[in-house]
Amino acid sequence: MTGYLTILAFCLAGTLSGAIISLIPSLHIYNTAGIALILWTHIEGIIPYTAVAPFFLSLVVAYAFLNTIPMTLIGAPDESASVTILPGIKYLTLGRGFEATLAGGIGSLIGILFLSVAMPLIYVAMPFIHKILSPHMHAILMAVIVYMLMSEWPKGEGLGRTTWERFRQAWRNVFAGLVTFGLAGILGLIVTSRTLVSPDAGFQNIMPVFIGLFAIPGAIEKLLSRETIPPQHISSSIELTRGDIGWSTLQGVIAGGLAAYLPAVTAGIGGILAGHAVARRGDRLFIVSGGVAKVLYYVGAFLLLYCVTPLTPMGIGRGGLSIILKPVLQPLPRELPMMVGAILLSGCISFLLLIPSTRLTIRLLSRVHYHVLYWATLPLLVVLVVFITGWAGLALMLIASCIGMIPVFFHSRRSNCMAVLLVPIALNMAGYGDTILRLLGLD
Amino acid sequence: MKGLTHFISAIATASFFPQVVRMSATPGAQTDGAQSSFILALAGLYGIMPDTLDFKFGRFFETAEIDVYPDPRTPDPQSIADTLGSAMDRAIIENREVRIQFHTVQLSADHWRQYQIAFDAERQEVAVVIGPVVTTSQVAFAGTEPENRVGIYQLKHARLKPGGARSTTVDIMSGPMYGFRPGKDHLLVDFLPWHRTWSHSYVVGAALALPLWPLALWMNWPSVWIYPLIAFLGFATHVTEDLTGHMGGSLFWPFFRERTRGLCWFHAANPDSNFVTDYIAVILILFNLDRFVTKLIPLSAPVFFLLFLIGPMLVYFLPKLVSTKPGSKPKRQDSVQGVIEAHRRQAAQEELLDESESIVG
Repeated sequence: MTGYLTILAFCLAGTLSGAIISLIPSLHIYNTAGIALILWTHIEGIIPYTAVAPFFLSLVVAYAFLNTIPMTLIGAPDESASVTILPGIKYLTLGRGFEATLAGGIGSLIGILFLSVAMPLIYVAMPFIHKILSPHMHAILMAVIVYMLMSEWPKGEGLGRTTWERFRQAWRNVFAGLVTFGLAGILGLIVTSRTLVSPDAGFQNIMPVFIGLFAIPGAIEKLLSRETIPPQHISSSIELTRGDIGWSTLQGVIAGGLAAYLPAVTAGIGGILAGHAVARRGDRLFIVSGGVAKVLYYVGAFLLLYCVTPLTPMGIGRGGLSIILKPVLQPLPRELPMMVGAILLSGCISFLLLIPSTRLTIRLLSRVHYHVLYWATLPLLVVLVVFITGWAGLALMLIASCIGMIPVFFHSRRSNCMAVLLVPIALNMAGYGDTILRLLGLD
Repeated sequence: MKGLTHFISAIATASFFPQVVRMSATPGAQTDGAQSSFILALAGLYGIMPDTLDFKFGRFFETAEIDVYPDPRTPDPQSIADTLGSAMDRAIIENREVRIQFHTVQLSADHWRQYQIAFDAERQEVAVVIGPVVTTSQVAFAGTEPENRVGIYQLKHARLKPGGARSTTVDIMSGPMYGFRPGKDHLLVDFLPWHRTWSHSYVVGAALALPLWPLALWMNWPSVWIYPLIAFLGFATHVTEDLTGHMGGSLFWPFFRERTRGLCWFHAANPDSNFVTDYIAVILILFNLDRFVTKLIPLSAPVFFLLFLIGPMLVYFLPKLVSTKPGSKPKRQDSVQGVIEAHRRQAAQEELLDESESIVG
């Protein structure tokens, strides 16, 4: 009984901590989870072993819900949402940020319910799918890369007097996307083949790169922006039809499912693929499906670790949290119901926290300019990077920031930055990593 | 069909070749011929290539004689209709092809003015209807239509064939180009005359796949013939799938340059046809990957397809089958016709009013 109460207490603690952290723009939960784990390994006993997974899982559940607030209200997307952020921003400019945030939260709640209901089926089916796809994973990732690059179309029709002028103008974003992808891919090959940061921080070595590629450019973009946030209407209801919910669930489950299972495929990339597959349009659909996808991407990926079956005796380790916790965690299949219980509890509390937190943030933003929040966040991110990865990490972050700024200025897809993981993983899985490194003179 | 549909379908086609699936496996899979090959992605690359050739390259090299840039502040539907109708008449008078490019009306980063172009073969008229302001997601802002919405041009020389021209909506990203050519009895109207021509030809597909043969030889890849074959099949899958739509393709360009008409089963952007094709492709890929390498699925093929293909499809279409809503939603074109009809009625009333005023006056 005491054990259950302890788990319950740490679930609540994880949810509350996650909720607070989520409200800080551009701060990723995995960075915080990494720090928390470092602290835990140094002061073992703070969290009993049985409560480690529920605590961190609740942290991530709360993040999946409440990160919608900075994402929508001050436009601070993480790597999972670089595609789905735009409809939220649109709602914000129309004074409907509250509605957009809650619609995203409803999506996350649908995601939690889907995971809870579908988990037995996932537990049975995923080991088979995993074993069938594993030998071809490099080819699947290469297919994702090819599709991402081929499906970025010229924006607009290219105005100009000559063919070349029209071509050049229309191709600006496509070319910027290709450059971003190429540079991020090379950076990924370097980072994954060289130990640039201190070995003590080895499991966080990609963190400065991610902060540089996603958080810093997003913050700089917002600081350069002269836009002001219009007064926001606190609506008493959310306009969602049954069709919106049905299609959003389908799109979100596909997006989140792909992102949860395929290495280096984020919910953003999954969103592109799912959006094209479901082929339906609408801002509400994007916002709600983004909420569903985030839960599957962050939470569902971790739950796959508990798919311990004869086919997958070590579980299916996917997602950032699995990477962080795997060294200290030995998942057992009988713990899966407890994990589902933890996400249900944490999800419901997070949704309830989302409503007052959104109201509070809106009130805060009516008094404090959002630039102030970013000016406060930027030094925090720098300190975090230096604290965990040292000066080498800071240098890495700056280089990654330069690459991350390209899509910001040229309006190409930010998800191209994910080449930092996609390229090295696909090449290494196929066994070509060393050859490419040799060709680049990096061996 | 959409890009992703072509891409996945091409991979599904390639997955029917046992050698391709085995080549794609990593040596760890302990299957004969495992090479960690990216050949499945090659099929996808060639599967999406026809549209890439058109939309990323071809369209910029095709120029129109007439460019229509509607005024973003006060778009004039009559002037647009006059330009369109005159271009059609000119094709007949001068006995040559005339191309006209309609440009989008971008109002801000995310706002566009929608307008519709309609062809009426019964009345031998063309009409332009100015629509609402829409977002990039094509979500309309109700009530943003201007008062003066409709422009109609009565064709003087050109004769439209019933069903020979497709009405269209211009809103986001880029506008359509029309090509008008004199036919035997009627004016021939080509929608996007640069699309699905040379790029959607089996001959071009073969020509583009062929260089992979010497490349495979040079790279010393085993089974050199499989690369061009898979690339060609990926390309051919796209061209064949597009035949289910309205526009068809120039299947044997440059030998036969005419763009054949499609089967008109569904529009290229139809969500149901795209999603269903994607789903079928994914299931086929999974089935083929398993039967040629892992052999893990403990079900016979009929049971597998019943459970994972037919069952989910029934679930997908069930809401539509049991829907109690009467009839289908009115098509966009119907609503355009409605606006035009309303415009005609109003014009007739005004004419009547003018006449009565002149009599009374």
